[in-house]
Amino acid sequence: MPYATTSDRRGTRGTGFFGTLALQIRVIVALTLRETRMTFGTSHAGYFWAIVQPLISISFLVFLFYLIGRQAPYGTSLALFFATAILSLELYNKMSVSLMRAFTSNKALLTYPMIKRTDTLFARAFLICCTFIVINMIFYTGLITLGLAPLPHRPEEIILAFLATLALGLGIGSINAILYQKFQAWQHIEKLFARPLFFLSGVFYIPSSLPPEAVAVIRWNPILHIVEWVRTGYYANYDSQVLDKFYVLSFAATLVVAGLFWERITRKV
Amino acid sequence: MIILDSVTKSYRVKDVEKRILDDVSFEFPAGQNIAIMGHNGAGKSTLMRMVAGIELPTAGIIRRDEKVSWPLGFASGFNGLMTGTENVRFVARIYGEDSDQVLDHVKAFAELGKSIDLPIETYSSGMKARLAFGLSLAIDFDCYLIDEITAVGDRRFKERSSAALNDKIKNARVLMISHAEKTIRDYCQMGVLLYGAQLYYYDSVNALIKDYRRFC
Repeated sequence: MPYATTSDRRGTRGTGFFGTLALQIRVIVALTLRETRMTFGTSHAGYFWAIVQPLISISFLVFLFYLIGRQAPYGTSLALFFATAILSLELYNKMSVSLMRAFTSNKALLTYPMIKRTDTLFARAFLICCTFIVINMIFYTGLITLGLAPLPHRPEEIILAFLATLALGLGIGSINAILYQKFQAWQHIEKLFARPLFFLSGVFYIPSSLPPEAVAVIRWNPILHIVEWVRTGYYANYDSQVLDKFYVLSFAATLVVAGLFWERITRKV
Repeated sequence: MIILDSVTKSYRVKDVEKRILDDVSFEFPAGQNIAIMGHNGAGKSTLMRMVAGIELPTAGIIRRDEKVSWPLGFASGFNGLMTGTENVRFVARIYGEDSDQVLDHVKAFAELGKSIDLPIETYSSGMKARLAFGLSLAIDFDCYLIDEITAVGDRRFKERSSAALNDKIKNARVLMISHAEKTIRDYCQMGVLLYGAQLYYYDSVNALIKDYRRFC
């Protein structure tokens, strides 16, 4: 039995490597602009709220710790300690939740032959990536300017950790999208996994200082490694007993491959 | 050139398997305006979606080397929360067209006035049809896929759209689904009948309509 496919030598899908690449870029750019419009609305207030959300989480934690008179678990700045965790956690959550709905809320788009389901995933991921680059820059610049944080020790490590978070979010997000399209109840089950992450990712403690029995359990959580990765990048002497970059990267790569593979074998359109 | 090569299409609804095409090989003759007829639920629209490339066959290969439009019909790819202008620009972008130019064309054809800058969800179905049809005319396709679109809209829109379509098919062609025999005769020179998961080819519209009346 011949396998199912359609081919296009001239027309909507582009020809050759560069034709296909140009088309792919065109589609992703158009979809991203559309997503921007849908996410933030026409006013600039939309962008403002995207930045305010992590700001509130961090301020709340700082306020709480200040209230009970606790010092930062590491370094001198509570705000910096929380920011190094919350920004990655929020990025991951955003990817996971927003990509979950990419297939179901973009059905009408599949009217146009050059738009594939995966494009809607990539466009959303790209927009979230850009948004969080801006958020990260505003935050760290703000903290440094206010004297609440030193300059990052190894910025390249923070960037790598950011990319690892994106990959992880893309992998989980595509799997979520497929599951959510099959069973709407998945959105509730996903929350059961996402909720505890706040407590299991070292947001308000140093994982290495926990008892070994606890570390043995929470080190399965890839977000914990990402938080540790950001901190070893930011602080000069942050010594993580937990961080395993190979674990995060292989975890993320496995999810991305599994998600895209699953998408392909369940593809009908 | 549009070729179906051993194409099978079936899908499951609950436990019932529906087979629309069963190992069909067929070449839509180049440059010809072709009618697609068949009874309700035979799978004409699905066939058209496969020709457009927005639905995969269950097995087999579909080849095309002409620029084929999306199926023009009741369902549109518009986003209800975005304005007419935004939707038009989006489609122009994905097709790599100049979005200002496309927008001018659409404005002239659709005659929506200031409504073009309102969200699509505020449009009537006739306004949506005008916008969708105007948009497809503004992009130069080699082959227009038309799924009963001439059935929507008021008299003025019907007249204008048939004039525009007649103008287009001087340089392009149509594959058209319609139950209206007059529409078929107006635009098509030949046709296919989708019946019992097979495609039957007729080189004259009269023969097609005769069998359509007999079997469907």
